[in-house]
Amino acid sequence: MAKILIIEDDPKIASLLQNHLKKYGYDAVITEQFDAVTEVFKQVQPNLVLLDINLPSFDGFYWCRQIRQLSTCPILFISARSGEMDQVMALENGGDDFITKPFAYEVVTAKIRSSLRRAYGAYAPKVKERVVELNGLTLYVERMELSKDKGLASLTKKEAVLLEELMKRSPRVVAREVLLEKLWDDQSFVDENTLNVNVTRVRKKLQDLNIEDAIETIRGAGYRLVPNWETS
Amino acid sequence: MVRLFFRDQFPLILINIIQLLLVLFVVWMGGFQHLSLLIYALFLGIFLLTIYLVFRYITHRRFYYRLTRQISSLDEVFESLDAAPVSAALSDLLKAQHRLYVNAIQQQEKKRKEHLTFINQWVHQMKTPLSVMELIIQDRDDEQMMSIREEMDKLEKGLEMVLYAARLDAFEQDFHVQPVSLKAAVDGAIRDNKRLFIKNQVYPDIQVTSSMIESDEKWLEFVFNQVITNGIKYSSGIGKRISIYDQETESGRDLVIQDTGVGIPKTDLKRVFDPFFTGENGRVYRESTGMGLYLVKEVCEKLGHEVHIESVQGEGTLVRIRFFP
Repeated sequence: MAKILIIEDDPKIASLLQNHLKKYGYDAVITEQFDAVTEVFKQVQPNLVLLDINLPSFDGFYWCRQIRQLSTCPILFISARSGEMDQVMALENGGDDFITKPFAYEVVTAKIRSSLRRAYGAYAPKVKERVVELNGLTLYVERMELSKDKGLASLTKKEAVLLEELMKRSPRVVAREVLLEKLWDDQSFVDENTLNVNVTRVRKKLQDLNIEDAIETIRGAGYRLVPNWETS
Repeated sequence: MVRLFFRDQFPLILINIIQLLLVLFVVWMGGFQHLSLLIYALFLGIFLLTIYLVFRYITHRRFYYRLTRQISSLDEVFESLDAAPVSAALSDLLKAQHRLYVNAIQQQEKKRKEHLTFINQWVHQMKTPLSVMELIIQDRDDEQMMSIREEMDKLEKGLEMVLYAARLDAFEQDFHVQPVSLKAAVDGAIRDNKRLFIKNQVYPDIQVTSSMIESDEKWLEFVFNQVITNGIKYSSGIGKRISIYDQETESGRDLVIQDTGVGIPKTDLKRVFDPFFTGENGRVYRESTGMGLYLVKEVCEKLGHEVHIESVQGEGTLVRIRFFP
């Protein structure tokens, strides 16, 4: 399990990040000793560091340089500063990447994952694969595969995203807006029609696994996945 | 300058001549009636006066020069004046005034800089609570949270705008022109407005080529962001699409951002780039600050782009940003 040290002086952000990373199978450690970051580093021996720039006493750049004398582990800066100069400084002082506040959890996890992969390679498979399970139906999010009993269906990226949301929140209704937002990525802009099309496709994939009418349309609100299938 | 000199010396010349004539008159009346001698005396008097005037003029030339010409730059104050007492006094006065003035300016400048630093820090400080809130609500998606998130998006946009407005003053140090991909900049701005698009059920229709233009990416994205935000805001519930495309023109390349929203009344169109101007639409959509398009204009000017806006009320608005090669 990869160990991540969070050096962030806002206790709320620190603990929210910690909780989130723990959910994804990382061992996240937070510290309150901002005057002895190197000591903490030696003690914790993390595989990756999340470092804020604005810290009491010395700033993140300083600590980054100090850590660099001890280790070459990935260091990701997290800061409200968004100026180009700050980003340059961060990278020049030995940082590997820069995340601007406010940020999305997904961005942080993705960047952590990519940094770990690059730095250690071997760590990637040890981190838990994202699997969503509901009443015998299993979705392997990253592999984009859906399985039930012996059956297996492969999904497109959009279908996987869609189904992940529906399964995670089942049996609650997921608003169209939420789904649209999840589907919308950098390359393609998603409108209502695309959503409809993808819902239809997901229904079809579910049918292939002998699941009928599991996705309900709630007029004016969104969609809902009802686990109405039998488990064997 | 000569005129001023004579006007200044006029009383002296006048009194001198009256005095001379008076003395000659008294002498004449006293019985000394040698006309040629008296005229000679008169001539001598006038000669002396002329010598004095010439001397005076030469020694005070710069003084009069300074008095007649307007000061066009502050540094002119330090040009040396004549050594004559009045000149020296004037020179001292000017320098003293200059010093005071510069001090006052420096004070103001210092205050302005402090204020700017404060604003910058403050914005960044406000971002931390915003991050905390974002993280807290990120995994929840009930209606209330969605609504809170929407408001937070607005807050974030507002903060971003303050930051850019504050930076505008120090623009020269904060921009860096390089080849920028038009498409990448547009995509970035679209991404930033993702939630706004979805919320308002307006969708982008993008036909931007990946041509490169000379600009500053960060500022350019800010410009696009402002225009797109406006487009979404004013076509919510009316226009279904915002088209963004680029065109090759004779004088360069145009990026067009077109919506089919409420449009801008003709009477307001001329003034949309004025600071704090909100116009008719601003009264309907209460969140207008009137700063968005003003900043767009300012930034475009500084980056060397041109921005035009065309609009028909009720039919939509077209913003055209021209990049010169």
